[in-house]
Amino acid sequence: MSTLHVLSHSPFGDNRLTSCLRVLGKQDALLLCGDATYALQAGTVPFELLRGSGVNLFILAEDLQARGLHLPNWVEAVDYPAFVELSIRHDKVNTWL
Amino acid sequence: MPKSLLLISRQAPWSGPGAREALDIVLAGGAFDLPIGLLFLDDGVFQLLAGQNAKAVQQKDLSANLHALPMFGVEALFVCADSAAQRGVDTEVLALDELKVLSAQDITALIDRYDQVITL
Amino acid sequence: MAAVLLIGSVMKFAIALFSAAHAPSSRRALLFAQAALAGGHEIVRLFFYQDGVHNADSGVVIPQDEADLPRQWRAFVSDNRLDGVVCIAAALRRGVLNEEEAQRYQRSAISVEAPWALSGLGQLHDAIQDADRLICFGGA
Repeated sequence: MSTLHVLSHSPFGDNRLTSCLRVLGKQDALLLCGDATYALQAGTVPFELLRGSGVNLFILAEDLQARGLHLPNWVEAVDYPAFVELSIRHDKVNTWL
Repeated sequence: MPKSLLLISRQAPWSGPGAREALDIVLAGGAFDLPIGLLFLDDGVFQLLAGQNAKAVQQKDLSANLHALPMFGVEALFVCADSAAQRGVDTEVLALDELKVLSAQDITALIDRYDQVITL
Repeated sequence: MAAVLLIGSVMKFAIALFSAAHAPSSRRALLFAQAALAGGHEIVRLFFYQDGVHNADSGVVIPQDEADLPRQWRAFVSDNRLDGVVCIAAALRRGVLNEEEAQRYQRSAISVEAPWALSGLGQLHDAIQDADRLICFGGA
């Protein structure tokens, strides 16, 4: 069983990212969208946390582009059709509302 | 076999409608005899403090709804040990009986066991 | 593995939206829903809960140079003949009423019209039971 976790809040001043990482399973994946993509701002605590986590990490391409963020090679950017496929590939989707 | 649903409630009782509306989903599911689980995580553990007085801020007292859960057939109730510890909440003295205290690893396994999950 | 067999199959989605029209997650939900249909999948129900009820509010006025999510949602549901349900308890609390509720509570504004239907949380549970995947959008 695997879960696709989805985060959309900025990791700065919010504990969704750290809580999510605590309960994320090895087969799970994490999709960053909206302001959660700021976690990929280089040189930050969330960036280092994600880089060292070994998590299967995805980012919604439009949000990366909108914010002018750089895509590290340990993250895969997805469009909406790929987002749909991700939600199918995993057994369920857990959005941290 | 009906699909099971886990509600992860992360909001403090009166931070907005989150806590109340998460409970409403649980109660509705229970009323329809569906297999529902409820996990209190992060600030959600504050819903469980004993001795609260919602009237002091003209808010709804959620503890009545919480105590109604077993009557609605919802007995799969869980609280995150780390969240409680971080917030100084003693899991021995909570407003709800029959709460299972879970570690992070237990929660990973819990999420896996349910067919669907809503984290509110 | 089961996952491999599923890709290429038609999946049934239940989509629940918890944030208002101006939230980026509302637009994200619509784009996801459009991609799901474009990918040949089905949407068993759209369920608006919490602030999501505001997406069904016909009283929302958006400046011309901005994305009009309530209008886009309405068109999406109508064009694709989808089941668009707004949680009645959440809607009432937020002043989003249809004609029946406006009369019942003697309110002057009618803000929910077809294709939206006001109904209870049972419809969310029903959709969850029917669908292969539940996906929620909300928050930021």
